[in-house]
Amino acid sequence: MSWHPVVLSIQVTVVASLLIVVVGLPLALFLARVRFPGQTILESVINLPLVLPPSVIGYYLLLALGRGSLLVEWFGIQVLFTWRAAAIASAVVGLPLMVIAAKAAIAGVDPALERVARTLGSSELGVFWRVTLPLARRGILAGFTLGSARALGEFGATLMVAGSIPGRTQTLPLAIYDAVQAREYALANLMVLLMTVLSFLALWGVRRLEHPL
Amino acid sequence: MLDVTIQKRFGGFHLDVAFAAEHELVVLFGPSGSGKSLTLQAIAGTLRPEAGRIIIDGQTVYDSEKHIDLPPQVRRVGYVPQHYALFPHLTTSENIGFGLKGIPRDERNRRVAELVEVFALRGLEHRRPRELSGGQQQRVALARALAVQPRVLLLDEPFAALDVLLRGVLRQELAQVQKRWGITMLLVTHDLADVFTLGQHVVVYDKGRVIQQGTREEVFFHPATLRVAELVGTRNILPAVVAQVEEHTLWLSWQGHRIAAPPRPFARGSPVYLCIRPTQIMIVRPDRLAERKRENLLWCTIVGKQIQTETYTLHLRVDHSGNAYDLELTLPAYVYHRLSLERQERLLVELRRQDLHIIPRDIHTEPGSAEQ
Repeated sequence: MSWHPVVLSIQVTVVASLLIVVVGLPLALFLARVRFPGQTILESVINLPLVLPPSVIGYYLLLALGRGSLLVEWFGIQVLFTWRAAAIASAVVGLPLMVIAAKAAIAGVDPALERVARTLGSSELGVFWRVTLPLARRGILAGFTLGSARALGEFGATLMVAGSIPGRTQTLPLAIYDAVQAREYALANLMVLLMTVLSFLALWGVRRLEHPL
Repeated sequence: MLDVTIQKRFGGFHLDVAFAAEHELVVLFGPSGSGKSLTLQAIAGTLRPEAGRIIIDGQTVYDSEKHIDLPPQVRRVGYVPQHYALFPHLTTSENIGFGLKGIPRDERNRRVAELVEVFALRGLEHRRPRELSGGQQQRVALARALAVQPRVLLLDEPFAALDVLLRGVLRQELAQVQKRWGITMLLVTHDLADVFTLGQHVVVYDKGRVIQQGTREEVFFHPATLRVAELVGTRNILPAVVAQVEEHTLWLSWQGHRIAAPPRPFARGSPVYLCIRPTQIMIVRPDRLAERKRENLLWCTIVGKQIQTETYTLHLRVDHSGNAYDLELTLPAYVYHRLSLERQERLLVELRRQDLHIIPRDIHTEPGSAEQ
């Protein structure tokens, strides 16, 4: 068995996880603390990947990343059919899980605590860092873990935007599909076991975060 | 010194208040939802009014016309919200030192230790808030607010979370803290006992407005309107009519009796409320009637009795009255027994004119009480 799909999956998941944090955390903070018109619409859009078929997400991503898109025409950045596209697709499907959990956790932090911190001289960043984040830590971590686990298991949208090029864009879930197609069941079994263990560990970790022993 | 003018709308609620206070202990008093907490937040800078002006110790921290709006970080205002809002993930020491982040560690530790000492929190430095009693939590919250040397301390319902016995103790503590630091305190409460024990200057709130402000004595004993009287728990509010205006006497008609009151600018025929505190109604022994000149004498029947720990409250029905009872009279238990009131049904009382307080009565808004 080639280790490449495993290494690539880790690479894609790490980058996707970073994207999920960088985009998801500010978004969650914003949604939890600011009331604005159209909030429900924005939240629904963010959550769409949870219910849309992967092919639809993949199609939107092709539009967003492919020829004629802002990314290509203005910046000349080509990501389609590279591992970067796989990372973006994974991030998009993992993001709602992060945002939902983190928003709930941040909304659960008593705003009076943040007000007091401000009167004690804390800057907005200081308030987030010293009060909001530590108190919402569990929920944020749980959302992050779920989002990352979902990113690790991404299959459909990744297939559409990154293809399944062995040695270049073939992540673990795609390699499993290929192995089954090629009737390499021993390889498939091994990879399926690996995916199952990783996913189980992620979910177990989330349970521990939500209900500490 | 505090000078506050704030206007802000929240949906259907309109906060429109103004008050100024030179005193050390100012109490914002009023029913829940009257805008007291919002006022504190506006002073702290965590809520932006739509218009107005806030001056703390001569410094304008907010002025809508001059476009001044200092952020809470630089207002130097100590803010203790309801339930104290202690940081649950930090220890007592970390809570107290939260606002001292910019200063050197040694200096910070020294100041935290000092506050721990002053607020009798030694031994509790490493506890989390949930491991502290209600009284200890309040002391940590006060220490944390005072650590940054604020110019004014804002306290939102500081005793609401505590049981009645502890309240009395902590009121005294708070008054001591005020003396020790010499800091202006603005305290929000809907508890009359807080107002009476702590309020040097009382601002009465109702539905987003200030309906009266003044010294504790003014507000409690001379409520300006019926609403203030109700809020401060005035017991004997009697609807009367001005019968005659003389230079030195305002003659009122109440229940068919003529009552002499001190002169006030009311016209003849004006509907008014006559107020007298239950402790100021004098009991007159008929055999001593001639001892001095008396006025406003009323014969009553004792129709009810409430026994408090040290005082008795009698419910009196004035002769020729159609009401269940007209007056509440409160007297010390020992006086009750010395006068053998338990064996009496009839009582002669005197409403001394200097004890009478008169407020205007709006016959259009009063709830169903017929004119007397």
